[in-house]
Amino acid sequence: MDLTILDNFLAQVWFAILALFLFLYVMLDGFDLGVGILSLTASSEERRGILMTSLSNVWDANETWLVLMGGALFGAFPLAYSTILNALYIPILTMVFGFIFRAVAFEFREHSESKVFWNSAFGVGSFLAALGQGFSLGAVLEGIHVDKAGHFIGSTWDFLSPQSVVVALTLIQGYVLIGSTYLILKTEGELQKTHYRTAKIATVTTLLGAIAITISTPIFFDYTRERLFDAPWIYIFATIPLLGVLLIWQLWKSIDRQKEVAPFVWTILIFLLTFIGLALVVFPFIIPTQITIYDAAATPTSLVFMLVFIGVLIPIMLFYNIYQYVVFRGKVTSSYYGES
Amino acid sequence: MEFLQDTVVLSRLQFALTAIFHMLWPVLTTGMAIYLVIVEGMWLRTRNPDYYHHARFWAKLYVLNFGIGVASGVPMEFQFGTNWAPFSEAVGDFFGSVLGFEASMAFMLEAGFLGIMLFGWERVPPVIHYLSTIMVAFGANLSTFWIITANSWLQTPSGGEVVDGKFVVSNYFEAIFNPFMAKSVSHMFLATLETSLFVIGGISAWYLLNQRHPQFFTRSLKIVLAAAIAVAPLQIYVGHLSGEQVYHEQPAKLAAMEAQWETIPAGTVAPWSAIALPNVEAERNDFEISVPNALGYILELKPQLSEPVLGLKEWKPEDRPAMVGLIYYSFRIMVAIGFFFAGLMLLSVVQWLRGKLSSEEIGKQRWLLVSWIFAAPLGYIAVEAGWIVRCVGRQPWALYEQIRTVDAASKLPPGNVLVSLTGFAVVYSVLFVTALYFGSRIIRKGPDLDRPLPGQGDRDLTEPATHEPDSRPVEAQ
Repeated sequence: MDLTILDNFLAQVWFAILALFLFLYVMLDGFDLGVGILSLTASSEERRGILMTSLSNVWDANETWLVLMGGALFGAFPLAYSTILNALYIPILTMVFGFIFRAVAFEFREHSESKVFWNSAFGVGSFLAALGQGFSLGAVLEGIHVDKAGHFIGSTWDFLSPQSVVVALTLIQGYVLIGSTYLILKTEGELQKTHYRTAKIATVTTLLGAIAITISTPIFFDYTRERLFDAPWIYIFATIPLLGVLLIWQLWKSIDRQKEVAPFVWTILIFLLTFIGLALVVFPFIIPTQITIYDAAATPTSLVFMLVFIGVLIPIMLFYNIYQYVVFRGKVTSSYYGES
Repeated sequence: MEFLQDTVVLSRLQFALTAIFHMLWPVLTTGMAIYLVIVEGMWLRTRNPDYYHHARFWAKLYVLNFGIGVASGVPMEFQFGTNWAPFSEAVGDFFGSVLGFEASMAFMLEAGFLGIMLFGWERVPPVIHYLSTIMVAFGANLSTFWIITANSWLQTPSGGEVVDGKFVVSNYFEAIFNPFMAKSVSHMFLATLETSLFVIGGISAWYLLNQRHPQFFTRSLKIVLAAAIAVAPLQIYVGHLSGEQVYHEQPAKLAAMEAQWETIPAGTVAPWSAIALPNVEAERNDFEISVPNALGYILELKPQLSEPVLGLKEWKPEDRPAMVGLIYYSFRIMVAIGFFFAGLMLLSVVQWLRGKLSSEEIGKQRWLLVSWIFAAPLGYIAVEAGWIVRCVGRQPWALYEQIRTVDAASKLPPGNVLVSLTGFAVVYSVLFVTALYFGSRIIRKGPDLDRPLPGQGDRDLTEPATHEPDSRPVEAQ
């Protein structure tokens, strides 16, 4: 067998694994951060307590998917890890500080008498983390200035552009949407009604953002134009917006009919569709138009070794994560984090 | 303030600050997780409610630490890319994959079972709960294994070589089982355990001194003491082995640890420096008190050295660690604390054997209890001091003798790093003070011995808990 074919295949496998980790992260911490952002609008202390309790047992595991994605990216595509993080110093640090605020808020709020401070740490922290991620995504899609060796040579403010602002705002809307549908699933009564409303609003704003991105992307980025409008890709990319419209229609209907589980499921499918669309636009680049996954990949020895040590664990990790969700299934009624 | 314009210095300061702060929290959660496994096991075995209440009480401190550990751990992982991009690219093949192993094997395991361990008492059968506690402890300690393996590899890189500025791994197992790995992992494992034991012991001693729940806290003090009988001397021994490996693998670091400027030839006896004022510019110690003939005993357990101890002057100033005083005193502080722990353990065991540690008598052992309280924070100091010796002593290298720290740093505008560094300093100071405040409040409040046992409360197993606002006055407990 040709060695380069094998090498390329390994890089593709790792691209797929990283995409899986990133998708799991965006889905799981997406609702986590979304609930955090929604907590900023919660009308009472008790409601805010219930919101935080709905995450108490899962927030850490959800965030760990990002840590796992980071570690795997570092090992499998060291050049991409170093160049992307170097270029995105400001959005990444924004996200990191956001994570710090929200992670400590869970425990500190419970012990504190002045809950207002830790409430805002939780809400603002969630918002900052989502904002940092949105700008990071926008900046990566837009491309990063690199030299021939793939090292970052731009300015640390490069991440800021009209396009990345739209992507960041849309991602935040998406998180609020999936957070709302998660809360529909986990709460009842008045609180649930509130989140049927927020889910509807977020569906509209997410849709507007998605339309803006879909239209502006081929206009601003040449590389996507070639990909989007050439056969056979055009057939695939033409179906994505169609499917998207269908899914959003289903989501809207399920919210209207006050379904409890369906809105969350439809939102996950919308996330998945968007994610597949983005991955197909980007592939085989890991930093669009500059660095392909083959340029950035670690040596085949490393990739094989990582496959043995990490790949094998994926089903096990999924198993015990799902088990944890099963153990804590059902509605949250207590606002006392720690006794759920 | 020239260093404010130097990205490398600022990035180093930021890494040092975030690493030193981060270390404070997992050091307790990893060690305490083992303690939680012990008390929960005793609860299942004996069905003595005291053990259940121990598991619940210490878990409160555990989770406070855990949250800050996670919060301060995420910046560590991303900093390699943001501030040390050339380093990350060069060593990613190995170092990055080890961080990936840590996340997939250790962090995820810990996170996946933590929820059940903390909140699942009423939701899963006791066996599953116990299994979850074991998984949390196992995950935490696996994390020690991988992170120390990664750091050991930076100290003694092996299993490949640097080709065109990038470390290419030829043998993964050789890289994992690098010369420093086994002893360093053991040293850190014992360090987390020993720190946690003396924290638990110190807090128990505080209750005993204040005559609160004497029977309850005599129990934890004795569990801790029984474990310390093995851990404290073993740590001194493993510490000695770690020193030995530095002597053989990183002689420049050893020279800095001993503030030794001139080489001591093999076959001679040499003094061991106890107090010194190293003068880096003049390449000598301005002042020194030393113990004659002791160095050979310390390094090789015999009077004459069989190998020379190289002095710092053997290296050009740019090839050896610069902060000699810091390394020298950090090392001595760590060693002194290790011996203090062993001494306190011995004294306590003597009193135990004399029957002075029964729950009726123990309150009278005031000096002993005060010593235990004094010992509670020392483990942290020893751990931080040890890391300073290990990583400041590794300088000027990021990857030992292969990649220099100055070449490892990202090219960033110094202003960016200064802002993030200031942010970390402010936020971490607030978190540190807040954690101490809430931690001491949990301690003052004490254990809730009236808590119903799992499955025996008025709560139905399948129903979620009713709303229980935690508004009890602190002092009323």
